[in-house]
Amino acid sequence: MLKRITKRTLTYGPLLFYVLVSLYPLVWLLFYSFKNNEEIFSTNVFGIPSEWRIENYKNAFAAFDLLLYFKNSFIVSIGTVVFTVILALMFSYAAARMKWKYANAGRIYMTAGMFIPMQIILIPLLIIERTLHLQNSYLAVIVPYVAFQLSFATIIFYAFFRSLPYEIEESAAIDGANVYTTFFRIMVPLVKPAIASVSIFVFLFAWNEFLVALVMISDNALKTLPLGLLYFQTQFSSDWGAMGAVMVLSTIPTILVYLLFSEQVENALTVSSAVKG
Amino acid sequence: MTSKQKYNLALLVFTVPTLLFFTVMVTIPILQTFQKSFFDWDGLSKATFIGFDNYIRLFDDDDFWVSLKNGLVFAFVLVVYQIGLGTLLGIALSSKSLRGRKFFKTTYFIPVVLSGVVVSQLWIAIYNTDGGLLNSLFALMGSNYEQSWLSGEHTSIWAIAFTNGWQNMGVHLVLIYTAIKSIPEHLYEAAKIDGASFWTTHFKITIPLLSETYKFCLIIAITGGLNAFQNMFVMTSGGPGNISYTFTFMMYKAAFRSNEYGYGSAAAAVLVIECLLFTILINKLVAREKISY
Repeated sequence: MLKRITKRTLTYGPLLFYVLVSLYPLVWLLFYSFKNNEEIFSTNVFGIPSEWRIENYKNAFAAFDLLLYFKNSFIVSIGTVVFTVILALMFSYAAARMKWKYANAGRIYMTAGMFIPMQIILIPLLIIERTLHLQNSYLAVIVPYVAFQLSFATIIFYAFFRSLPYEIEESAAIDGANVYTTFFRIMVPLVKPAIASVSIFVFLFAWNEFLVALVMISDNALKTLPLGLLYFQTQFSSDWGAMGAVMVLSTIPTILVYLLFSEQVENALTVSSAVKG
Repeated sequence: MTSKQKYNLALLVFTVPTLLFFTVMVTIPILQTFQKSFFDWDGLSKATFIGFDNYIRLFDDDDFWVSLKNGLVFAFVLVVYQIGLGTLLGIALSSKSLRGRKFFKTTYFIPVVLSGVVVSQLWIAIYNTDGGLLNSLFALMGSNYEQSWLSGEHTSIWAIAFTNGWQNMGVHLVLIYTAIKSIPEHLYEAAKIDGASFWTTHFKITIPLLSETYKFCLIIAITGGLNAFQNMFVMTSGGPGNISYTFTFMMYKAAFRSNEYGYGSAAAAVLVIECLLFTILINKLVAREKISY
């Protein structure tokens, strides 16, 4: 009996402790978004707010164009997902299922991007965008995001296309379907789970990305959420409660997306790790 | 058009847009960065070839050595925190009789999906010198270990790296946990019959069988640490002085604040070479042989 209790404590104790480490900072954030500075840093550091100050949220909305940043992040993320999925699907299909001499070389070339830090292309990229006048549109970030997510998406789609039996295309060909019909009508529906995984992963990436956005976007009307948060931090650094409110609001969508699709996110992660570095 | 021609046309339609886009947006810019690192260039006027001058200047620059050290510290913290803890928690989660597995896994992963800016701003408050969560915790425990985490010369980069470790540990946990799950049960049964203890079993069976996963984890943790930017940019902007500089920040500052595109390119080139060296090293050191059960 005693042994069993000890064993349980040894298993669940550390696991529960790390739940605390992982979640408490976020709960603490939620609490302080309803507190004033005095409560946050001296009178009530740890616990629930003594008084729920909704005005922090009102102040945040008044001072911070949250809807604009949400809209921008949403357009950028959806745009990135759509272009990445289309380009990567077509290429992966050709690499995994069609017969050509350079299928394997092409795939390796495309997946090499997984291990290249985005930093290395920033300087030439800025010059390209200046030349093409992309800087005043959402494409300023969508284009580099797609370029860098293609490798990851190709790895996932390739793995899925490879796992399908070859008889599918053979019987489609016997029925007289051409390559395009086979691809759009038969193959794409079969890899829907992979499309879901890639979409969610790429969406979260684009929603949270910071460095490229920082360099490429200068027009305030185009700024995505992370840039908006940075701006807010520099403008209202003394109002911690309102800052907390903005942080909570901008975090809710990603947590929701994750809680709804946690399986897909984890699957995408695991499949992509199978690539040889 | 013959059917062979139709097939080849389809092949072009499927592959050329992606290959072309990737080449123009990724491959060519990479080559340009290396090329421009040998030039004196402000991004607008004509670039002048100056040989290795940018690199010589880089190695003379105090910021460079601070950045190099900080990148290594960052990578070290990520490896220990994310892979070390990821392994321990992964083993604990794979215990067959465990209840609430899904809850634990989801909870540990939540910080991963947050914006890095939010996480950095949250930890600014946690590290706050006057009454921040961490110092308040120390005070509560009656310790006088309180300090200015983010501005202390010996704590700054460690505190920043810890933030990243905390945020992304879940990635490694999921990878390691999934890999443990794929190890065949009969290996553990054999160990049990031989009377191996819990820790012996995991040291002798689990960890060696994870070498492919560890390879991937090490590459993303180490290159992630060397590339670090977002956390330090939001939390300290490199300061105070240059104590929390990283290579990416050097590149950012040179190119986008002082218009020294050539010098910035040299910093980027060194960073990529450093990442490449570590990737090769990891591939060489971590067991290469295919695992067979």
